[in-house]
Amino acid sequence: MKIRIIQTVLVAATLSFVLAPAAIAADLTDVGFIDQAAVGTLPVFVAANRQLAGIKSQLDQQYNAALRGAHNDADRQRIALQFQQEFSDKQREIVGPIFSRAQLAIASVAAQKSLSIVVDKRIVVYGGQDVTSDVVAALRGTQAISPPTATPPPASIGFVDQSVLDSLPKVQQANDEMSKFQQDQRRIDAAKMAAAKTDADRQAVLADYNKALADQRDVLLKPLVDQTQKATAQVAKAKNLILVIDRGDVIYGGTDITKDVQDAFGK
Amino acid sequence: MSKMRSANRAALALALVLAASGLAGCGQVDVHSPQVRGTGYFRMEDVIKHHPLYAQVAQLTDAIDTIGLVASAPQAPKTAAEIAEATAELNRSLRDAQNRTNAIIAQDQQEYAAKERAAMAAALRAAGQTQAANALAGQVGSTSTQQAAQIAAQANQNFMQYQQSVIAQNNQASASISQQLQIEADRQLRARAEQYQQSETDLSFQLSQQNASERLALKTKLSNLALDDAGRAQLESQLNALQQKQNDAELALHNRNEAALAQYRAQLRAQTGAAIAARVGDVQAQTRSQLESRRNEVGAQLRDLGPSQVEPSVSPAVRQQMQQIHQRFAAAFQTDAQKAVSDYQAVKADLDRQYAALHGADVGATGAAAQQLASLERRRDVLTKQMQTQIVAEANRIAKQQGFQVVFINVNTAVGGYDMTDELTKDIEGLHQ
Repeated sequence: MKIRIIQTVLVAATLSFVLAPAAIAADLTDVGFIDQAAVGTLPVFVAANRQLAGIKSQLDQQYNAALRGAHNDADRQRIALQFQQEFSDKQREIVGPIFSRAQLAIASVAAQKSLSIVVDKRIVVYGGQDVTSDVVAALRGTQAISPPTATPPPASIGFVDQSVLDSLPKVQQANDEMSKFQQDQRRIDAAKMAAAKTDADRQAVLADYNKALADQRDVLLKPLVDQTQKATAQVAKAKNLILVIDRGDVIYGGTDITKDVQDAFGK
Repeated sequence: MSKMRSANRAALALALVLAASGLAGCGQVDVHSPQVRGTGYFRMEDVIKHHPLYAQVAQLTDAIDTIGLVASAPQAPKTAAEIAEATAELNRSLRDAQNRTNAIIAQDQQEYAAKERAAMAAALRAAGQTQAANALAGQVGSTSTQQAAQIAAQANQNFMQYQQSVIAQNNQASASISQQLQIEADRQLRARAEQYQQSETDLSFQLSQQNASERLALKTKLSNLALDDAGRAQLESQLNALQQKQNDAELALHNRNEAALAQYRAQLRAQTGAAIAARVGDVQAQTRSQLESRRNEVGAQLRDLGPSQVEPSVSPAVRQQMQQIHQRFAAAFQTDAQKAVSDYQAVKADLDRQYAALHGADVGATGAAAQQLASLERRRDVLTKQMQTQIVAEANRIAKQQGFQVVFINVNTAVGGYDMTDELTKDIEGLHQ
């Protein structure tokens, strides 16, 4: 009888260890992250930033001198655009190749480690693979970095570009209305604040101000936020994603569902 | 037989537990299920609201928002444009005073000239040139006594106006200096109060961290359902004692800070009173000096610079003497006139400096607000960082315990994974209860 008991336990234990790996295998292990601040301290980035700062200072002087010759607002706008363009060109010229090399390094490391997505360190609080040192090592090398031969594997983490969603007409309109409301409300409550005599009065004014903003936010923005969330969830589900993060936190890979969300949201 | 059945049941139960643990990795969450896939996430902004120190962050945020709202009030701070306008007004007043002085100079020139002619006539008479002396005396007689009285009356009236305007300006300067010193004292008091509040926050945080493991251990023991009443009471008593000890330490520091703050308030009040008295005394002394100087100046002024006409028959030696008399009076007038202008410029500069000081004090007040804002934001950032670090440490502990592969924050939308927010919230609340 004793033998039977031991057998039962052993069978169950074996069963648990046989079944478990299959489930564990489905776990998300292909998420990498980078400490972008550490990468930014590399001499190549520091030198590029210093060079850009020098160019900017020089352009600022030229810009101010050019402004003195402006006759009207149109002139000033034209001059401002011209100098912005010039700075952007310089930026592309100086930083562009370094960013391309960094992108290659990240893609190469991600391919070596079979990562489907590499994100910013700030959003990973536990686990994941820290590839910062690998990327830094690749960037420190003088040799050319070969591009990975394969595209990243399909990721279970998706992302949306919030700036694209924010630029949709109805979202933009709501944001504009909210900004205007906030400005108006600020003017009203600033006058009340100036007349407030005690700390209690000031707290009451601040509470009123915050409440007015929160109420208006509920009216103008919340319905849109809810709709976006719903659309994002629908798309994510259809694409078998687990989580969706913001485009700004993604450094490499991931599944871009911005267009699908935009379409679903527009319906 | 019964024993054997019981052993069988125990074995089966143990087997099921083992199987379940292998499948789930955790009794509460099926971390490795297809829906979760070893992935956790939480909403930091929600969890942090349940941190015991969040109330202080909320207070700091309110203070920051209040400063922002006060700053956007149109009449609250003096803008650079308002200060420039006030300075321009002062300059206008000074220009008016200058014009009045110029008018006095012009009117008194005749009197000055009369004195010069009288001196020349006396010299001519002494040289036996009576005819020429009489001719000059005739020029002197052209200035009537009535005209001289009118000029003196005008000069007095102008001086009175000048006196009133200088006193009004200096009163305004004194009031502003007093106000600015009070504002500065308030700022210093607020800064000290914040410093004390920060020390209390730090202590609270430090103690809660120090006691966290002991508290957690006691709470874990308390969560044991099989614990008898006596054991439970003992553990609860230990937990309460721990909390009481922390409360006592916090209260003691708070009381010490309150006493120190009261002492500092009294010290500031005395210092501010003395500083106001000294600065206002300086301004008043300056006002008296300005008025005295102007009074002397008006009393001493002015004479006609035009050279008196001397007849051609006068000898070259006497003519040279006449020239010397004229040069002496002209030089004296120029010195006086230059002194008058310099004094006015000095008065203007003094009052400009006072306004500049006001401007500076106001900028300082705005700067003080900016400094206070920066200090509040820094404190909020530090406190938020401390809370986030503690939350992340707890999230790590839970994630490790339950076998997660990866845990995210700042998730936009989740259709899978495990939301740790509630569990983490309870955990964070529990750490400080």
